[in-house]
Amino acid sequence: MTQYRTQVKIIADVLCTARDMNTEGNGVGITTLLRKGNLSYSRMSKLVSELVGSGLLEELRAEKVARYKISPKGIQFLFAYSHFEEFTQSFGLRL
Amino acid sequence: MALAGPIAVFANMLQFVGAFVSFSIAYVSLRGLRETESPTLLRLATAFVFLAFGFVVQGLVGLGTEAIIPGIAAFATTMLISGLLLETTGYFFLAFSHVMDVAMSKKMGLALMVFPIVTVSGVQVSDILRFLSFYFIMYGVVETLYSYGKTHRPDTLIIAAGMVLIALGGLVEWLSILESTLIALPLVQILMKEIGLLILFIPVLKFTFGRKEMWDDAI
Repeated sequence: MTQYRTQVKIIADVLCTARDMNTEGNGVGITTLLRKGNLSYSRMSKLVSELVGSGLLEELRAEKVARYKISPKGIQFLFAYSHFEEFTQSFGLRL
Repeated sequence: MALAGPIAVFANMLQFVGAFVSFSIAYVSLRGLRETESPTLLRLATAFVFLAFGFVVQGLVGLGTEAIIPGIAAFATTMLISGLLLETTGYFFLAFSHVMDVAMSKKMGLALMVFPIVTVSGVQVSDILRFLSFYFIMYGVVETLYSYGKTHRPDTLIIAAGMVLIALGGLVEWLSILESTLIALPLVQILMKEIGLLILFIPVLKFTFGRKEMWDDAI
């Protein structure tokens, strides 16, 4: 059965992709985020600009192409997410 | 409550232990809400804030009846109903968290939200509130067990066991009203409820120490 992801889970997934796929240190493109994030282009663009605005992602611009990497604040968010996910799962709930 | 003397004082002091546990869970949930902005944690925090205030009010009423806190005995009935109302609201939010989880995850759930029809004639408000608390906590138990069936996390099973104890405490409370000759029942009821709440405290402890260890590892 299809299971919807919560908004917090979607954000965590995007941040995880930005962290794990950034192997060369020059960030990841929107295509990678789309492929791993399983969201539509318009929804992902909106989400990414919100994450950049809130300081969870950093935008790197090279030759008019935007690439994204996780910020220290984003890493802190993932740390908090993994902890509180465990906490809510204890109560049989999803974060 | 049929208890009197030092046992009654002890039983009422246990209400404050329940309040402490509930405030702790609410505090961790609020910290999580600040860090992740998760609506689940908002509902969890709301539930435990209501529960905590409910326990505080019921504890105060109990101590007031024992003349330990003066001036409360005159408003005992009103305050007792307020305390029970707060507690029921807390359990409602706990059940509501599961309802929202069912709705969000699109899972079938074991939704027991078909509300049972009860005849309320002649039943006191406090009895209705106790019944509602029992109903909400049982719904929480069923959903928590369902979640355990999917995740197989031992913590989830422990929490379900804690909630079962709280629900059984509610049953014993009814029994103590019907069988007022058995004076130990109210104490048994409060003990079951408090042990249940202390079991719910386990995730808070794990969270506090686990987070410190992980943070130490990280730095």
